[in-house]
Amino acid sequence: MATRRVAVTGAGVVSPLGSTLEGLHGALRDARSGIRRLEPAVAGGSGVQVGALADWNPAQTFKEAEAANLDRATQFALAATAQALSASTLPLEGRSERVGVHWGTGYGGAHTLETTYKHIYGANEWRTRPLTVVMAMSNAAASNIAVRHALRGPFANFATACSSSAMALGEAMRAIAAGRADAMIAGGSESLLTPATLAAWQALRTLAPADASDAGASCKPFDKRRGGLVLGEGAAAFVLEEESAARARGARILALLTGYGNSCDAVHMSRPDRDGQSRAMKEALAESGLSPSDIGYINAHGTATSVGDVVECEAINLVFGDAAARVPVSSTKSMHGHLLGGAGALEFGAALMPLMSGWLPPTAFLEEVDPACKVRHVPLRAEQVSPPRAVMSNSFAFGGSNVVLIAARP
Amino acid sequence: MDTLSRIKDLASKEFSLDAASLDPSAPLDSFGIDSLAFIEFMFKIEETFGVSVADEHLKSIKTLGDLERQVAAALAQAGKA
Repeated sequence: MATRRVAVTGAGVVSPLGSTLEGLHGALRDARSGIRRLEPAVAGGSGVQVGALADWNPAQTFKEAEAANLDRATQFALAATAQALSASTLPLEGRSERVGVHWGTGYGGAHTLETTYKHIYGANEWRTRPLTVVMAMSNAAASNIAVRHALRGPFANFATACSSSAMALGEAMRAIAAGRADAMIAGGSESLLTPATLAAWQALRTLAPADASDAGASCKPFDKRRGGLVLGEGAAAFVLEEESAARARGARILALLTGYGNSCDAVHMSRPDRDGQSRAMKEALAESGLSPSDIGYINAHGTATSVGDVVECEAINLVFGDAAARVPVSSTKSMHGHLLGGAGALEFGAALMPLMSGWLPPTAFLEEVDPACKVRHVPLRAEQVSPPRAVMSNSFAFGGSNVVLIAARP
Repeated sequence: MDTLSRIKDLASKEFSLDAASLDPSAPLDSFGIDSLAFIEFMFKIEETFGVSVADEHLKSIKTLGDLERQVAAALAQAGKA
């Protein structure tokens, strides 16, 4: 059987940088930050100062009663998927068993659970909404997507923390390549900006405090002054299709998803490991049939933690060797924050920007490069280049899961 | 507003239906109200009327009319009717 290659034919986004792929790319090109000071209603007593809330008004997408029965994370997922399907113009009639859903989320319906717990533990009010279970379960977003669009093909929900949605994309690519599906909806969503979740993150002492002069500049990956990550929320969804079928129907092909690497560090619950990361990068390159010099942009995991950024740069150097001095690397988390389970999908969308327009998204606010982060940075401002042959997107998670995706120009 | 009108009003909001067209003798599933949606709807009915309908009575509710009778009985039992 000839190799079945996989085309990306539609994208949808709900993010702190606008709620379309074009909006996201425009904000990245302008190095605009979606990070803000958190209102007391969101931060509660957690002490967390900044976050990146999605640009989101449920009333534009859902009737009030409908929105009330969907966790905020599921609302994001449905909205992003509707955009992606609409952009792809993929016909679904009569072939829904050949179209599946692979989704990623770190947690699921945190808002639903927290609201319930607030009643139970806070007010000793044990009367609980009957929809609590189906709204909060971690596959709620994936299942709502499948139900809404009657997608009956291969189905999975990945929960590997910050690599979840990148894994969903990689596994969806493999489902198409293996002939188990002709098209897939793949992506991820997360909405964890709730007081209790923020308190848990704050306890880890990995969150950045607000930048004294500009809250939007609080997340500074690869910078000597970096103070940790900033949590964000949102979703990104993609329509993946077997390439020849997509071409035959005249679909607009944004990129080809050519490589997927998946490894586990298996050394520590939170400390990253360059060996595990580099193995995932090598696997994605090998599957793509590309050499490091073919990669024209890396969207780094780059969370802006003191250890994480250095380890990732070491891993890039290990894999790219001499080419590491030339391949542009940036972390767009400086602008949209860390979407956790949704990060891999949103950043895959960001990584498509150089392929689609030749613009390299920058690491915003990178004024004082940490010499331990020795890669070719894209500091402060986006750069225009001729569209590269391929791009890489890294997603590394607590628990040691590493996922790397490679997309190529169609 | 009488009990049935209030129930129709709630159902029309919850399920995006036209209250005037809700036939109290029609099966709930003819309005697209499945078992899960019904349980969630009952939760809101109980909140709104401040009553509790016992589990053994839930099974007998097949229509909005049935629902009205159960709510009326619960209101009477609670001394609210």
